[in-house]
Amino acid sequence: MPVDDVFLAVQGDTAAFERVYRAHMPRIFNLARRMAGPEAAEELTQDVFVRAWQKLALFRGESSFATWLHRLAVNVIIERFRTLGTARERFLADGETVLEVAPAVRTKHMDLSMDLQAAIEQLPAGARQVFVLHDVEGYKHEEIGDLLGISPGTSKSQLHRARQTLRVLLNQKVAS
Amino acid sequence: MNEQRRFGESDHEPLHQDDILKQAIGEWRDEVPSRDLWTGIAEQIAAQPRTRSRQIAFSLPQLAVAASLLVAVASGVTYLAARPDVTTSNEPVIQAYGVTGDETEGNIVQANFADAQFNAAVTDLETILRDERDRLDPRTVLIIERNLKAIDDAINEARMALNDDPANPYLNSHLADARRRKLDLLRHATSLASGGD
Repeated sequence: MPVDDVFLAVQGDTAAFERVYRAHMPRIFNLARRMAGPEAAEELTQDVFVRAWQKLALFRGESSFATWLHRLAVNVIIERFRTLGTARERFLADGETVLEVAPAVRTKHMDLSMDLQAAIEQLPAGARQVFVLHDVEGYKHEEIGDLLGISPGTSKSQLHRARQTLRVLLNQKVAS
Repeated sequence: MNEQRRFGESDHEPLHQDDILKQAIGEWRDEVPSRDLWTGIAEQIAAQPRTRSRQIAFSLPQLAVAASLLVAVASGVTYLAARPDVTTSNEPVIQAYGVTGDETEGNIVQANFADAQFNAAVTDLETILRDERDRLDPRTVLIIERNLKAIDDAINEARMALNDDPANPYLNSHLADARRRKLDLLRHATSLASGGD
């Protein structure tokens, strides 16, 4: 029966922790890239695993380790934005107008993945986090509200505006 | 006007399949870092302390009181166990020190008995298995012994780790899991040897 690497890492085994890192890094790196952008993703990924090492003794085994680590990663990423961003830069303003454009027909040469990456980088950090947490990671508005320190209603309204803005930007890309 | 009507869509429902946003999310590819991030992590974790589970510290007077209580409880339990006419009650011990049943069972007596019960159950099952092992295929015996050794190793490692960090809930849970696996395996093996399965 192989001994669990998380169990060994809890005891201070750094080789086991490196195996834990190798197993979970892709998921955490891409979470950071989507929530914070490619420039910050590498440093944030390192911060997440350093924090995980410091907090491993608090892992209770009540959820899977992957779930625990994901939650910790979301907190580290949000903390970074709380430190750096002002409230004004974080969310889409109430009065902000989102232009509607007619949907374009997709061609097989389109790369929606790259288009979405470019479009999401135009969103304010808070709105981007709400969108990624809800539509990509599957969090509920109540959970997002707790994580970001906003009401579930604000989370819903930010998601609505983020979706609208992203649709406009994607359709503009397609049209061009 | 509620939010749903104001927005014109349900923002807590999944996106429609034909929504361009849904398609873009589906095609949003994973990427890999441009460099190996582990080196930087290893340097940082080598230099930083770790959070430990909450440790409980007692003053000398508290330890003295606890030791006296433990001796008294142990003596009381021994006395009760030695009396042939007493069956199960430990009430006199608890009442003598003004401790409620819940506190005593939760903190001291139950923990000690859990160890004793586990050891007794393991000893019983190992005895049965030893007596009946000739009825099992030698390959089955080999597999059972290998698995038992692996579980014993896990139990020993967990115990050693708990010596350094007794309050760690993950280690406690790991030890409990390993013990349960050992009992399950022994029960299954004895059942096989007795022709029960």
